[in-house]
Amino acid sequence: MSVLEQIAQAVIDGDEVSTPKLVEQALVAGTSAKAVLQDGLLKGMTEVGRRFREGEYFVPEVLIAAEAMKAGTNLLKPHLAKAGVKPEATAIIGTVRGDLHDIGKNLVATMLEGAGFEVIDLGVDVPPEKFVEVCLSRKVDVVAMSALLTTTMPMMEQSVKKLKAEVQPTPTIIVGGAPVTQEYADKIGANGYGRDAATGAELAKSLVINKR
Amino acid sequence: MPLTSKERVARCLARRPADRVAMYDWFWAETEAEYVRRIGDPDLWCGMHGAQAGTHEKRTLWEYFDFDLMQVAWPDQRLRMVAPTVLDETDEWVLLRDGNDAELRWWRHKMGTPEHVRFGIDTPEKWARVKPLLQASRDRIRWVEFWPRYRRARERDMFVCFAGVEVIESVKDVLGHEQLCKAMLKQPDWIRDVFATYTQFEIDMFRLCEAEGMTCDGAFIYGDIAYKNGPFMSPKHYREFVYPCHKRLFDEFHARGMPVILHSDGDIRKLIPHFIDAGVDMINPMESRAGMDVRELAPQYGDRLGFCGNIDVMVLATNDRDRIQAELHSKMAAAMKYRGYMYHSDHSIPPGVTLETYRWLLDEVRRFGRYE
Repeated sequence: MSVLEQIAQAVIDGDEVSTPKLVEQALVAGTSAKAVLQDGLLKGMTEVGRRFREGEYFVPEVLIAAEAMKAGTNLLKPHLAKAGVKPEATAIIGTVRGDLHDIGKNLVATMLEGAGFEVIDLGVDVPPEKFVEVCLSRKVDVVAMSALLTTTMPMMEQSVKKLKAEVQPTPTIIVGGAPVTQEYADKIGANGYGRDAATGAELAKSLVINKR
Repeated sequence: MPLTSKERVARCLARRPADRVAMYDWFWAETEAEYVRRIGDPDLWCGMHGAQAGTHEKRTLWEYFDFDLMQVAWPDQRLRMVAPTVLDETDEWVLLRDGNDAELRWWRHKMGTPEHVRFGIDTPEKWARVKPLLQASRDRIRWVEFWPRYRRARERDMFVCFAGVEVIESVKDVLGHEQLCKAMLKQPDWIRDVFATYTQFEIDMFRLCEAEGMTCDGAFIYGDIAYKNGPFMSPKHYREFVYPCHKRLFDEFHARGMPVILHSDGDIRKLIPHFIDAGVDMINPMESRAGMDVRELAPQYGDRLGFCGNIDVMVLATNDRDRIQAELHSKMAAAMKYRGYMYHSDHSIPPGVTLETYRWLLDEVRRFGRYE
């Protein structure tokens, strides 16, 4: 097994001790930072996402895999900066206005990072104006919105409308959360619906990164 | 001849013939307040989400709608029985540090899941320091609220349930979901100790209740072990960590002839066989949007398990009587074959379901839910 494969496996196993050690080992051996990221850490996280989507992994396994990936990424960051490697795309994420729920949103943020996005987490109770403001202040490729409550779903629709009206070109908008469905996503004009965190991240990747 | 509520629920839980399906429900606070206001009966008050002082003798919607079941006890699980500290606030929300040293942001004027800002108990060492605080004691039950409710329920021959929580529900308030999930894999001995401690605490509180004379007919145990897409943990980890605690707690009830109703939101299908092994007699509320469907589950498990709920609140919120009737009839017909069905919405009655719709719905359940 190559060191990059070992890195991917360490992420899959949620081994936050071995992951940075292996990253260090790969860098010392002359592997490029980009390869360590793409073919090691992100490859591992992609497999974690697949296992989660297919019901082999559950929330605990994903959370510890994310910790392992973060431990590796933290060590890798200065090397990526030095080599001029930039994130493939930027996603902003938030729970919509009126909703304080954050667990699902945090899981999606983790999976988006694992899919190669730079993620800006706007937190919870995010008003439509805030999504727009951030999109106008910097280049954003994906806006991800979460709602847990049926009562806050209309705020998702308002946010989509405002983004489409005020941000041109409008970033790709994906939505998710307990009461949200594909039908609802279509109705409000979102570009996609993620039934779970891994599917949402994979969808964002397919709509933005894979299209390039 | 009509049965008493107590007899009806007991037969339902035992999957034995009864006169009609048993009925119970839960309401969002906003819905409860609106219904109580609309009904306008001075003897009726909001009691579902904690009664206000001076209102304990008044009736609740459970009695007004003539439901069959009443919950009492709800032991206070906090490590420290102290008023929360306000850390920050606006007109809309308040950030509180509670008796579990958890910092949560809550809405001021509406219900909803809080934002999990920080959990203070984040190491085994900190847990070891606070663990001795979790002792059963009389002041952990709101007797002033529950004794009048208990007496009224007994006078009405309702089925009285000891209401409490299981370990995932208890521990997520102390460690938070994320830490709880991670620690199961990375610090298993710690989590086993936390789970065992809370299980023993719940048993001790139940015994205390019983010693005070608040004896119950069944147990209604709350614990959100799943979300929309499935259980938080794998069946393997459920079996390893949670099952022994569930079994221990449920055995305590069964030893007194008390059946167990387990409440968990989300898609719990992968855990159902394990719940049955652990001693669960009925599941609630069976969230439709999470894929729970009594029409599929009753043929699989109806000979071993009862079902309480599954009537889709999204359908109810349309106030469309044809749609609601179709929802009720198809699900009730499937479940009633096995006798162990109790009416309940698949979560809580949300604002938007009109009082007229709700009254009509209950009449329809009583009409359609009659056994020959």
